[in-house]
Amino acid sequence: MTAVATVNVTHLRKVYRVYEREAGLGAALRALFQRQMQEIVGVDDLTFAIEAGEIIGFLGPNGAGKTTTLKMLAGLLYPSAGEVRVLGYVPWRRERAFLRQIALVMGQRQQLIWDIPVIDSFELNRAIYRIPPAQYRHMLDELADLLDLAPLLHKPVRNLSLGERMKCEIAGSLLHRPQVLFLDEPTIGLDIVMQRRIRDFIREYNQRTGATVLLTSHYMADVEALCRRVILIHHGTMLFDGDLTRLVERFSPYKTIIVRLEEPADLRPYGEVLSQSEDHVSLRVPKSAIARVTARLLTDLPVLDLSVEDPPIETVIEQIFTQEEVV
Amino acid sequence: MRTYLRLLWTFFRVSILGELAYRASFWLQIVESLIDLGTALAFISVVFSYTRALNGWSADELLTLIGVYFLIGGTINMIILPGMNRLIEQVRQGTLDYVLTRPEDAQLLVSIQQIDMWKLLDVLLGIALLVGAMLWHGSLPGPLQLLAFALTLLAGAVIIYSFVLFLATLSFWYVRMENILVIFESMYEAGRWPVDIYPSWLRAVLTFVVPVAFAVTVPAEALTARLTWLVLAATLLLAALALLASRLFWRFAIRYYSGASS
Repeated sequence: MTAVATVNVTHLRKVYRVYEREAGLGAALRALFQRQMQEIVGVDDLTFAIEAGEIIGFLGPNGAGKTTTLKMLAGLLYPSAGEVRVLGYVPWRRERAFLRQIALVMGQRQQLIWDIPVIDSFELNRAIYRIPPAQYRHMLDELADLLDLAPLLHKPVRNLSLGERMKCEIAGSLLHRPQVLFLDEPTIGLDIVMQRRIRDFIREYNQRTGATVLLTSHYMADVEALCRRVILIHHGTMLFDGDLTRLVERFSPYKTIIVRLEEPADLRPYGEVLSQSEDHVSLRVPKSAIARVTARLLTDLPVLDLSVEDPPIETVIEQIFTQEEVV
Repeated sequence: MRTYLRLLWTFFRVSILGELAYRASFWLQIVESLIDLGTALAFISVVFSYTRALNGWSADELLTLIGVYFLIGGTINMIILPGMNRLIEQVRQGTLDYVLTRPEDAQLLVSIQQIDMWKLLDVLLGIALLVGAMLWHGSLPGPLQLLAFALTLLAGAVIIYSFVLFLATLSFWYVRMENILVIFESMYEAGRWPVDIYPSWLRAVLTFVVPVAFAVTVPAEALTARLTWLVLAATLLLAALALLASRLFWRFAIRYYSGASS
């Protein structure tokens, strides 16, 4: 365990108590007097540490426990067991010194006030975080510059498009220059161009300020572009913690061979044909057989070009989650 | 304290800007306030065309009561209810999470987060009625009376605030709580009359279940020289206890929210 880590999580666990009732009026009436309680494990035995300045991606299907984890780190939820330190603080004590150094952005939940111009919402944050005027102006200029906010600042939030609003939401959360950022689906619902814009900005902010960023996203592109390291969570438990590239190595037992042939040929004996165009064929081949199959292809057929690739990360992750589902 | 006032001022300023976007609501508010005022005055004139005093309250004293009713009602509708309605909304939408990540007391933030500034009109109207009642009565209250009035007014506002905060906090468990605030609003209308004209069971409800008696009748009593030291002391004590209790309940609710929400 490193003492300097920004985030330290050990054996973190969160159990929800959920009251359940069966369908129907009778069950509903019975539930008024006696409720069936069920315990649901949201997060189980997570342990990891994050160094200052890292950008970490949390991956997992809906309900995997990503948001629950993020909320515990941001101090919104008490864990059922385990320990968490963020910047040396216990998050759920919500000490002001801690809260002043973090920011939470949830793509699905809006914090700017609907009816008033963006700049006035910012002004409220300035007052709440007690940002000195000079620092506020400096930060606002910087953010406005990076995100092109100038034309938006004086419009009421209700007149902004989803993408414009998201830019303002993010800028508003960064005015106090947080050291740790929790971003829950920051690009959800945005078009490709805006997604890239937000992504570039997050990277830029991370490089300029050295802030630590914890990110969850459904878009693999976000994670691939921003995070060298990912944490894979499924059913509340950790499946993987490490480099994105290693993730593919570890979880995909296959590679893809792409061959260009002088003339069409039947490649089915060599591996599973993923796609076939006039002269290109993609084959899925077990890793252990790559060398052998490549050699055979080169000797058997008039090969013009051949390359071996890792399957796309998205496919690999999809496989992991669906396989887990079966087990 | 100064930083808190500055924070309150910033919220107030931002609310004003928000409200200015809807100019129509300014005119609507004028109409609404005038109708409320007209109804209240019409009732008094009808009642006092049959009698010279209502349970010991003369016409000018009742006017004082209506002044307090507008003053406190305006304050409730200006600051207390808008913030609490928004709190209920925030609990439902999950945006209370943002409030909880702010480095400032969450109760303070939700309490001042929304200000419906047009209701200031009712406050001003209330003050005008009080001044009018005094002129009608022909004598100004003494300094001690004014002090008692200020204290009970403050205590009344604190009691109502605590009560409404308590109701709104219930939304952590029961998601649909707006209706209960509407019930509160209509109960408050009963405060238009001194609580001692009501039958005893209703008087008890208006004193202890929905504390309208403390908010309106007691300050009006202070201004019309009816207040006993005992009632004054009890009101102040109750205000302190109510504030403490609502604070404790709020903290308990936040703890529950942090343990159970997802």
